[in-house]
Amino acid sequence: MSALARLQREFMAGLAGEEAGAIAIHRGNVRSARHDALAATYPVVRRLVGDAFFRALALRYGEAHPSRSGDLHLYGEALAAFVADDPFARALPYLADVARLEWACHEALHAADAPPLDALALARVPPGRQHAIRFLLHPSVRLLACGHPVAALREANQPERDGTPDRTEGADRVCVWRDASGVRVRRMEPHAWEFVRALAAGASLGEAIEGFADGGPLLARLGAEGIIAGFTPGEAPA
Amino acid sequence: MGASALAAGAGIGLRAPHYGEVARTRPPLAFLEVHSENFFGDGGPALAVLEGLRADYALSFHGVGLSLGSADPLDERHLLRLAALVRRFEPALVSEHLSWSSFGGIHANDLLPLPRTREAVDHAAGRIARVQDRLKRRILVENVSCYLELGEPALAEWEFVDAVVRRAGCALLLDVNNIHVNAANLGFDARAWLASVDPALVAEYHLAGHERGERGLVDTHAAPVAPEVWALFREAVARIGPRPALIERDACIPPLQELLAEAAQAEAILEASRERAEAPA
Repeated sequence: MSALARLQREFMAGLAGEEAGAIAIHRGNVRSARHDALAATYPVVRRLVGDAFFRALALRYGEAHPSRSGDLHLYGEALAAFVADDPFARALPYLADVARLEWACHEALHAADAPPLDALALARVPPGRQHAIRFLLHPSVRLLACGHPVAALREANQPERDGTPDRTEGADRVCVWRDASGVRVRRMEPHAWEFVRALAAGASLGEAIEGFADGGPLLARLGAEGIIAGFTPGEAPA
Repeated sequence: MGASALAAGAGIGLRAPHYGEVARTRPPLAFLEVHSENFFGDGGPALAVLEGLRADYALSFHGVGLSLGSADPLDERHLLRLAALVRRFEPALVSEHLSWSSFGGIHANDLLPLPRTREAVDHAAGRIARVQDRLKRRILVENVSCYLELGEPALAEWEFVDAVVRRAGCALLLDVNNIHVNAANLGFDARAWLASVDPALVAEYHLAGHERGERGLVDTHAAPVAPEVWALFREAVARIGPRPALIERDACIPPLQELLAEAAQAEAILEASRERAEAPA
């Protein structure tokens, strides 16, 4: 090991330790960088637990899952799993699901752009070929099934709200995506959510729509909202 | 290509709270500098804002996460993202810090000082040269703030910085506040630093605020530029010449007008220097 590597190894160990002195300035920088990155990604978790608890949570998380990139946007992915196992956070059983939702929102915010669905091209697909269409979801789409009413919790904890959720019970199936206005979070009926999930898995329209009396209105809504962003016509009949 | 494409005027560090106002009001500035890593996403609103501004402003990409001086291997993902960003936006300047941030795969996400040894000069210069090869352009490296000595220094800070910049064939981003902070903390004369700088190597200035902590000055980027740093900047410009100069604020971000007022102050100092240079002898 080079002298440089040895010095850097010792210094990193010192940052993780408790030694006082000038190194404490850097230790403070490390902790605040990690805390601030988590606070930017998890504003609802932070509001639910309060600033002091969140600061302590960020410190524990940072020790268990230190940053592995110079790009702090990649930091914090494991917070939901960490919170689920954290003895202090377990008192709020819905916290891990809220963290999952906020990470999905974070990913959606930075996902690739895509042009809107070409509705005219879609209308030109002959009726006999429609079942073979494969829809492409917007790259920002994330689908979550949560055991708690996460959509209501997130909504109630936006800055202008007082934190009282409209619902305190129930399991939410949620679709997260980004449109021109920003990140959107939509609670979906189970059949609609399963439909989008089937599309995400690459099912053709014919396969995904099985069991629907009339899938037309749902499809139109998904297209208009930008959840569906494109399609491939599928194979021609042999 | 690179530094020569940008006028020696004042710019500001553009941070998220000001995206909307800058896009709407288009304040007159020589350039906008952003943290490269804030645009490493695949898409989304931040990149859209930058696309909207590039026609009206020269851009400078200032990296905080490449960990140039680390003994770890260069982070290939990070470098790929940076290269893609540089290809897409063709910024006037690309800069990083002459520091390290990571070891053993763990990131401090802080700018840590290098030991001022010949070994560190060789190591950092080699890595900067590789980054320049990958980006196919010259980059700038910034002198960082120091609160402690890592190891036994063999070189003065200005000797260390000069040696790295020459060896790597890069340019120097002279952070005037960091010189002031380090002079106070490590006990040297800031003027000696300035007097030793080869003007031909300097391609940009940074101006930021610091605060007084328990153990000396702390480079927080959370306050206006201090009067002593303005004085040092005047001396730097008089000796080195006008270069693009950046007002940098990363915490306690004030209303945009306050940053623009500081940029105007920097612009006036650069302007006076240009006039002196143009005046007949």
